Order: sequence, then structure tokens, then C-alpha cells
Amino acid sequence: MSAVLEKVRTQGNEARHGAIRIDDVVKIYDPEGAAVMAVDHCTLDIKAGEICMIVGPSGCGKTSLLNAIAGFHDITSGAIYMDGEMLCGPGKPKADPGADRIVVFQNGALFPWKTNLENVAFGPMMQGKMSKKEILEKARSMMADAGLSGTEHNYPGEVSSGLRRRVEIVRALMNDPKVLLFDEPYRALDSLTRSVMHESLLEIYYKNKVTIFFITHDLEEAIFLGHKLVIMTTRPCRPKKVLEVDIPHPRDYSVLTSPRFRELLEETSSVVHEEARKSFASGEKEG
Amino acid sequence: MEQVERLLKRTLPFQVVSPETLDGIAEISRNEVFKAGEVIYEAGQPAEEVYVLVSGRVKHRIDPEIKARVHEKELQVGDVFGWAAILEGEKVRLADVACIEAAEVLKIDGARLLDLLRKDVNFGEAALKSFSQLISQQYYLPPSVSERVPTTLSKVGDTRTPASNQAEPQTASAWTLTMYRAGEWLRSPDPYLMMVGFALMLGFWYLTVEVLKLPRFEDLPGLTTVVKEWFAEDPVYGMSIYTAEYYQHIWVSIRRVAIAFLLATALGVPLGLFLGWSRSFREYVFPVFELLRPIPILAWVPLAIIMFTGSETPVIFLTFLASFFATALNTMLGVESIDESYTRAAACLGANRWQVFKEVIVPGSMPYVFTGLQISVGVAWFSLVAGEMVSGQYGLGYVINTSYTMVRYPTIIIGMVTLGIVGYTTSAMVRIAGNYMMQWRLREMALGGR
Amino acid sequence: MNMKKMRRSLFSRTTLRAIVSITVFLLLWEAGSRSKEWAGFTMPWIGLIPAPTSVLSVWWDLLGDSGYWQSWYLSLMRVLSGFVAAMVIGIPLGLLMAVSRTFNSITFPSFEILRPIPPLAWVPVAIIFWPTEELSIAFVTFLGAFFTVVINVLGGARSIDMRFYQSAQAMGSSQWDIFKRVVLPATVPSIVVGSSVGMGITWNVVVAAEMISGGGGGGGSGGGLGFFIWNSYVGGSYEQIVIGMISIGIAGYACSELLRGIGGFFTPWLRTR
Repeated sequence: MSAVLEKVRTQGNEARHGAIRIDDVVKIYDPEGAAVMAVDHCTLDIKAGEICMIVGPSGCGKTSLLNAIAGFHDITSGAIYMDGEMLCGPGKPKADPGADRIVVFQNGALFPWKTNLENVAFGPMMQGKMSKKEILEKARSMMADAGLSGTEHNYPGEVSSGLRRRVEIVRALMNDPKVLLFDEPYRALDSLTRSVMHESLLEIYYKNKVTIFFITHDLEEAIFLGHKLVIMTTRPCRPKKVLEVDIPHPRDYSVLTSPRFRELLEETSSVVHEEARKSFASGEKEG
Repeated sequence: MEQVERLLKRTLPFQVVSPETLDGIAEISRNEVFKAGEVIYEAGQPAEEVYVLVSGRVKHRIDPEIKARVHEKELQVGDVFGWAAILEGEKVRLADVACIEAAEVLKIDGARLLDLLRKDVNFGEAALKSFSQLISQQYYLPPSVSERVPTTLSKVGDTRTPASNQAEPQTASAWTLTMYRAGEWLRSPDPYLMMVGFALMLGFWYLTVEVLKLPRFEDLPGLTTVVKEWFAEDPVYGMSIYTAEYYQHIWVSIRRVAIAFLLATALGVPLGLFLGWSRSFREYVFPVFELLRPIPILAWVPLAIIMFTGSETPVIFLTFLASFFATALNTMLGVESIDESYTRAAACLGANRWQVFKEVIVPGSMPYVFTGLQISVGVAWFSLVAGEMVSGQYGLGYVINTSYTMVRYPTIIIGMVTLGIVGYTTSAMVRIAGNYMMQWRLREMALGGR
Repeated sequence: MNMKKMRRSLFSRTTLRAIVSITVFLLLWEAGSRSKEWAGFTMPWIGLIPAPTSVLSVWWDLLGDSGYWQSWYLSLMRVLSGFVAAMVIGIPLGLLMAVSRTFNSITFPSFEILRPIPPLAWVPVAIIFWPTEELSIAFVTFLGAFFTVVINVLGGARSIDMRFYQSAQAMGSSQWDIFKRVVLPATVPSIVVGSSVGMGITWNVVVAAEMISGGGGGGGSGGGLGFFIWNSYVGGSYEQIVIGMISIGIAGYACSELLRGIGGFFTPWLRTR
């Protein structure tokens, strides 16, 4: 254990933050007395500033991992570290949610009763570290950077879902998080909007090198965006195959038709498909 | 023409224009039909008309030179394209458009379209705004093009601000929208059918009581009798819109309901919020709440009379009790209805428990709270009338009861109708207050909650 | 539910807390109502009502009294008849209003004008019109539930996802078929909700009507739990007032639960939620 901590602590001394280590994590849900194992001894290392894509069939437990990192659920055993510090583990089964690990939710969690600007300014306003004027200035400029000028005073219900996602990401970035956690955020968008969102996400990433933990079931999305690709087994999940995507960043949509992309897709799709079929056969309800 | 108008109405920018403008646009539109594979226009050609797709499928490919984010797009029925015809500056086609399947389009002269929008004093600006938003959002344009999308109808020569830095989008004011909708309603068959319904109802009453004098019916006060009495300057039974007594009773009832309702809201909403928010609190308090709630309000009457002195307090207590249960319950349901993603997001963003309560729970439960308040007002009137009929002096319930015992039948009906009107008004007031406080929900619902 | 699960829920923290709070409530009630005996001063409000213990002892005696159970029976009959009538007329009417735009435009405004008039305000008119008091109570009861049922049916029918219609049409169903297989089943949950709420209102109206007609010196057929309460008040037997209140509460709750059970039977697809 101390050797692991040593290694993780030295990792944390690098300039960038947000390195995550998931150490032998097990998560068992206990509904109605029937123990359901969602995560099965999962061990995973995510480098600081890396885009890590988690791919797996629906309901396999990958959201449980995300919830554990974010601090929404506890873990049954094992530990999770960020930059050497324990988020949760023995003695502390549930991490504290915080602005260093912000989640972008599947169906979007922009507050419908606040305007886009108010949403974006929410984090700093709650934390009270900056003056209101500074917060609003920063919010406006970050929104402009993301091409969202003109929508500040709209309510989320008035604009398209693609735009809403971008606002949510800006809302998260306002807090200088170390890690951004994405829970299948583009699942409900049409494919045209999705491809635009991918490029926009990468643009944002190039400007703010946060660590990204991104759950998806879409293999192409995963290869296009990620540095690291982790293919999970069906429930209970553990990493089945971990792959470094060696297509150089910065990337644009032309990557989608490049030979290396096709190679990676071939390499991984049979693995993913196998797990998907297992999941389908067992009739699991989606998470 | 009608079909054209209907299609235009489904197209976003044209949904907000006035009917005259819509007529005008329909008039300047021309149909054209294309075969599968035919080219509708090519980039570089002069752009004079805006197109709306009536049927079929077309492919829209923006000139790669323009570096739009999305180059190719398949258009659906109702989609607008060819908007180069209304760009400021040189009006030249920016894309190639060809038919995937045989297609029918509407062609609208761009310059005349802008003219019509300019003439539409109330909605032209809003329509143009809607247009420019549609273009920017659906076609992912680079600034070189999106700058040229017109955002106001003021004459050329005014300072042109790039579309992306515009101030908040103007939506037609609430008043003009209401007037517009009222006009729409009057144009439909609805008001006349409504009259038919009223005529049937009143006619039935009039016929059975006063004309045919059917058994049982003939004892009831008739329509004309009631109307005459209600509007008489010197009413036979002493109560009409001209008598002070009438308004005294109305006032007494309203005052009781107001006190009870406000008290119930002041106590019920916080209780409901806590019941929904804190699991421990709910586990302790809710059982007692649920034990008392099924007891019909009116069963409390004797107890209320015993507990409280005077004639006012028991009545107000009963009304309060009914409202209270409804408000608290609905508020609690409102809190429970809030998606946990919102509370989680707030926690992620650094809010502490109290901030989550204030910024997420309270606003998030407002829709349910206001529904609850409307129910609460209705229930308040229900209990009040019962309370007044059983014990109490003055008030509309009292009037109805005593009118019966003193054989002043027309006054009964006057009382009933007045109750209906007042009850409806108070309920509407709550609803309007709710709409006002929840602008976000109104706008979300107006846009179909995308 | 297996035995293990039942045992767990019986002794769960939630149940324990409920027992605690109800006990505290009863103790406070007992103390408050006996304040005169125990503390020498009368607590306002609570001091005037009978204590739980005396209520229980009177109730114990009452259980053998056939008149008490007859009141139950009479009230239940009134509630059920008025309620069933409201459903029989209200559900088809609501469905018709939902399906036919023209019919809706004709009837809905008149409906909405009558709705705010509290059902009890109709009592005098009902008494004048109907030959027997029983019928007038039934009529008012019917009115109480009727408006709620119709509104809920309308709401349910309107909120049917368009896609259900479209897939039915795409699969070649006739209008009647669509109605039978899409509109009707989708409206059932709303009907169930409407019934539960309507049931509560019905009980309120029945109790009130019984109290008013009984208490108004009418006498007549009388009976029912509402009359029982009023009579107990007039006769000075305060414990019986409370007994009547609790009895009605139980009866009303039982009816609502029964309705929800029946509704659940008709909507098996909702149980998996």
C-alpha cells in the first residue's frame, strides 16, 4: 500500500493535476436484500490531463464508478485516489462531492429556473471566493469563448440541447476543476449535433487541460476523443481491455476517416460487441 | 393558400408573425416542384428567394470555401433554406442544394419578405430574430457569414453589430402575445361553440322550470326570476348587485378564505419543503400528518366549535386545515419530484446543504407548489362554504343556507353563482401569480420543452 | 415480499420512527386534554377536547352497538352510490370531451363555470328538487366526485404521447381500435388518480350533507357517520365526536386504498416502476 501511495504521490508532483487512481474498487448494491455487484475489483490509472474514455454495454456499472469518484455513492471496498490523496477508501466509503471533480450529466443538469448566465456563474457564486462582478465578467468571457454569446439571458428550456450541453461544460470549467466527469452526455443528441459537440469539446480541452473521465457506449466517439480507451466487461464491470489511442492531438473530424482510426476501430469493436451481446442476453435494465 | 399558411405556421420563424403578415407572405410565395436528383440551386448564383421545403428530401451542401462546421445537411419538411436572399451585403448562394427525392418547395422573394416583416410592427422583429437564431444554430456558420445575418429591421446605414454579440433576444411582449392569442381564439369556431354550450345549459334550465313547468323542476327558481332579482335595484328578497348586503357577504367570505389560505401557505409550504428535504424529519412527522389527513374536514366541525370561541375562528380553522393539508402534501411531492441530478450538480459545484436547499429545492419545487396552491384555494372555498352553512354568520355559505330556510329561492342561485365567480377568480389569481414567478417554465412550455 | 423482507420493514428505522412520533403525539394529546385535572389550568384548545384514553374506552363500548355500525353502513352506501354514479357518467363524458374537439368546445366552458361552485352549495337546490332527502344527498355526493373524475380523465387523455397514436395509425388501426387500445388504457392511470382524489371529496361531501340535513333539524332518514358526529355534539358526548371522526378517517382511507388496489389491477404495467 505504501509503495502505491509513494508512486501516486510522486505522480501528483507534476505540474498538472487530476490524476486518478482507482485501486481494486468493488461496489455492491444491496437492493431488497439481493446483493448486486456492479463493479468487480476494478483497477485503473488515469494520468493527469488525460482524456480517458470508458466504453461498455449499458448497465454494466460504469456509472457506479463515476458516482464513486464524484462522491455520490459509496464503495464497498478498495480505494480511489486523486493526486495522491484518498477520495474514498477504507474508513471513508464515500467521497465528498466537490468542485474539483465536476460531473456533466446524461440528461443535462442545468437548472431550468436559472438563466444560462446564472447557471454558469453558479459554482463561483456558491463558493464565494470571487466578487460578483468578477464572476459575471469571467462567466461572460468564458461563454463568449465557447461561442455562446447572445444566449446569456435565455433559460435552458428555450435553447437547443446541444447548446445546453456546452453551457453545462462552461459552468463546470468556471470552477477550474481538476477532473471533468462525463456520463454519456451526448447520448440524447442526434448524430450531426454530436459530431459538432465532439469538436467543441476538444477545443475546450485544448484550452483547459483538465483530466476527463468520459463514459460512453459509442466506440467511435471514444476513439475520436480519447487518449486512453478502457473497454469494460458487462456487469459486474472491470477493465477488459485498455488501449492507448496513439492518434496525435489536436484532432479534427478528418481523423474519422484516417486509416489509424479504422485500425483501432477494428481492433476494439469485436471486444465491445462481445460484451454487448452478453449484456443483451442477460436482459439487464439500463443504468 | 390555406395549406401554404399551415406549412408556414409550422416553420419556426413564421410562427410568431401576425395573421396579416402571414397572409402577405403566403401571397408572395410560389410553388415549385423538382424531380429526384435535380439541382435546385448552386453556390455562386444570385440569391433572390428564401425557400421552404413542402415535401420530399433535399441535400444542402455548403461551399467548402466557407468553412462551416457542418458542410452537409439533409433538410426535412418545413425546413427553411436559401436564406442567403436576406443576408446583408452581396446576395449570393452559399450552398448547393439538390433533391434526394422528388420535392416541392415554396419560394419567397427575400426583399419582399423583409418588407413584410418590417410592416409587422408587433412581431416583425421577433420573427427576424427567430430567423437569425435558426440560421446560426442550424447551420453552424463561421463569423464571416453569421455577421451578415440581419438581426434588426432598421434601415441599412445603422451601426451593424455582429450577430454573435447581440444583446438579449427580444421576444414579443407578454401583452402583445396575449392579444394575439385572443385574436386567434376569436377567429376559431371555439367561442361560438362555447355560446352554443351556454345556450343549451341555460335553455334547458329556462325551459324545464319556466316554460314546461315540469314536476320537481317547477319548484326551482327560474332563470328569468334569478336574473331579474340579481340585477334589480330593489330586490324582492333583499339581495342584488345593488344592495350593500350582497357585497358584505362576499367580503366576509373572501376575507375568511384569504386569512385561512395565507396562513395555510405560510405554514404548509415550509413544512412540505422540510418533509421532502429531510429524510429524518419526514420519518418522524409524516406519519402523524397522514393520520390526520384522511379525516374529512367537515368532521372537524363540532371539535372546532368546542375548541375555539366565537363564530369566526372555527370557520377559519376549518378552511385553514383543508388548505394546509393540500399545500403541505403537494409541496412535499414537489420536492420529491426534483431530479437528483440537480442536487448532485449543485453539490459538485461547491454548494453546501443550505445553498442546495435555497437554490435548487425551493425553485425546483415551485411548479408543484403552485399546483398545490390552486388546489388549496379550491379546497378552501369548499370547506368555507360548508363551515358557513353549518355554523357561522354572514358569508356566502350562510346566505345560501338561510335563503333556503327562509324560502328565498332565487337568492340561493345568486349565492351559488357568486360563489362560482369568486372561486374561479381567486384560483385564476393564484395561477397567474404562479406563471409570473415561473417565467422559465412558461417559456419552456411555449417552446415545447425541447 | 418474502418473510425476511417483511420482518426487515416491520422493524426498520422508518417504522420505529413512525411509532415514536405517533406515541409522542398521543401523549401530548392526553396530557393536553387532561391539563385541567393534572395541572389545574385548562390548556387552550386542547384542554377542551376529550383525551385519547376516554375516547378508547367509549369506543370499546360502542363496538357492540348496532346503531354505530349502521352509521358506517349508511355512509358507505352513500359514498359508493354517489361515487359509482360519478364514474359511470364522468368517465365517458371525459373521454368524449378528450376525443371530440367540437364536443369539448361546446361543453368544457359550461363545465368550467359550474365547477368552482362548491358541491355543498348545491344542497338547498338538491333538497328542493329531489323528492327524498336520500336522493338529494346522493346528488350532491355525485357532483362532488363528478368534476374531479372528468378533469382527471381529460388530463390523462390529453397527455397521451403522440407517438402512441402515430404507431397505432401506422399499424393500420381504425379510429375505434385506437380509442379502445391506446386512449383508454393510457387514460386509466389518470382515472385511478382521479378516483382516489374524488373519493376523498366524496367522503367530505357525504359527511357534510349528513351533518347539514341531520343538524338542520330535518331528521328524516338521517343516520350515517356525519349525522352520528353531529348528534354526539348536540347530545354532549364529546368522545363520540372523536370516535366518529376517526371512524370516517379509517373508512375513507380504506376506500382510497381499495381504489388504488383495483386501479393497480387494471394497470399492471405501472407496478414495475
